[in-house]
Amino acid sequence: MAEKPIQGERKAFLTGNEVVAYAAVAGEADIMYGYPITPQNEIMHYWTRMAPKYGKRFLQTEDELSAGFTTLGGVLSGAKAFTATAGPGNTLMQEPMSMAEMMRIPAVFVIQQRGGPSTATVIYSQQEVTMTTYGGNGEGFRVVYSTATHQDLFDYTIKAFNTAWKYRFPTFVLGDGYQAKMRESVTIYDPQARGIELIKPTPYLGKPGSIGKDREVTHMRNTYNTEEELYEVVMSMAKEYDSVAPEIVEFDAREVDDAEIVIVSHGVVSRAALSAMLELRGAGYKVGYFRPVTLRPFPGDQLRKVADNAKRLLVVESALGQFNKLVQTNIYGSAATIDTIFKPGVGVTSEEIVAKIKATL
Amino acid sequence: MAKAVKIVLAGEGGQGVQSVAEILAEAANTEGREALYIPNFGVEQRGGVSVAYLQISDEAIGSPKFQKGDIVVALSERAVLRTQRYVDGNTTFVYDTSIEGIEDQLPKNAGRVLAIPAIEVSKEEFHPRVFNILIMGAVIGATGVVPLDRVKAAIEEKLGYKFQENPKLRELNFGALERGIDLVQKAQ
Repeated sequence: MAEKPIQGERKAFLTGNEVVAYAAVAGEADIMYGYPITPQNEIMHYWTRMAPKYGKRFLQTEDELSAGFTTLGGVLSGAKAFTATAGPGNTLMQEPMSMAEMMRIPAVFVIQQRGGPSTATVIYSQQEVTMTTYGGNGEGFRVVYSTATHQDLFDYTIKAFNTAWKYRFPTFVLGDGYQAKMRESVTIYDPQARGIELIKPTPYLGKPGSIGKDREVTHMRNTYNTEEELYEVVMSMAKEYDSVAPEIVEFDAREVDDAEIVIVSHGVVSRAALSAMLELRGAGYKVGYFRPVTLRPFPGDQLRKVADNAKRLLVVESALGQFNKLVQTNIYGSAATIDTIFKPGVGVTSEEIVAKIKATL
Repeated sequence: MAKAVKIVLAGEGGQGVQSVAEILAEAANTEGREALYIPNFGVEQRGGVSVAYLQISDEAIGSPKFQKGDIVVALSERAVLRTQRYVDGNTTFVYDTSIEGIEDQLPKNAGRVLAIPAIEVSKEEFHPRVFNILIMGAVIGATGVVPLDRVKAAIEEKLGYKFQENPKLRELNFGALERGIDLVQKAQ
């Protein structure tokens, strides 16, 4: 097999989709399953270009339902498998994603959000937040990293594999069409050269040895006969999810201590929020910045403290309040007031945020 | 905080505005500056106005798209109409003189409006295919956002394999680039 795809580290100037493909190769994914949909197509294109050189494989399926299930099949067989999708593809993939929750299958899903509902635009949105965090017929036992930069895309795609295989909850890298298609600089690296240990996958089904003699039977269930039986399973999953959540939660808080208003945003919108905060601070306004990196689990305790302290939040997102629902649920009981900028399917600029804060402070 | 230089390039599909933005972004990146380039994209397979958004800065760049451009280049009638929204009092608006009867539809609020005969000059003095390189020259002439030698190096990086086969292409491209700078400076 060829040598490592990335030796040491180097600066690169890439589209976000290329970055994801590089990260999946560097993160030692074995196989990608996928079905084309804009704006994630080039993840598949670049993966298929690189994969054969490193003994990796690709399977194009007949739709996203199948791409999701084949990904889970690959994982069960012991491969580090992943898939990528967007918009209506994300909708279709909710069923395999729910199965991954129920059976504790550690798959990685990369989502490049596009406009919705339905086909809508192929361009951009943050309208897949509710679906990615709590989609399917389940309780949201998932890990969702919302990326903002190409560096995030690289870092968190690698991390997603480790998180998924360590905790056995399906793990999502939630990007968007802007991040997918734009070019900016990024440092790509060999994770091991940075001391990042990559978890090796093992087969969940079809393990070696005979049952009853060499090993126990493997029994992975997604169906239950009684309500009580299911209740026990779901509650024990909830308990486990809650117990590992503090280890998984990530966020970025800046200038919040003396802030009179804190801009709360996630993903690519947090770039505009950060620019706005820096500009307003430069002009003497006491503005803070809070960005959850994980939307599931959500940094609720951390945000509640910030909210209680500042007493005012400005929630900004490219959706009609999907992220704000997470914010409100998680800080329920806080006396902080919430202003909003909701722009479903449209980008947000720092100028808009600056203008809004100047008008309200 | 130093503001990013914001550039919008718009033209018909095939006029090469995306290549211009990509090469300028790469030139800035190799110079060690921050650059962010994003194309517009939709469901159309062909036709339609092609728009490229480019930002170059000394600091981390915020949102990928922006409200107003420092320089807005429109290379067709439809592009002139489409790009009005990116123009304000600080914008240099550049359009091609071959677009007929467009005078009434040029943005009234632009800081300045420059008409350059890029299509005509590229056809008569060079070759229609280096039209976009001439436009690239106009952008760097109007903004000074990336030094000429960096842009030449980025073009070399992109087209070097073609230049090796035919060194005259290098002359043609670099000639068009410098002529673009010249045109925009004369227009000012």
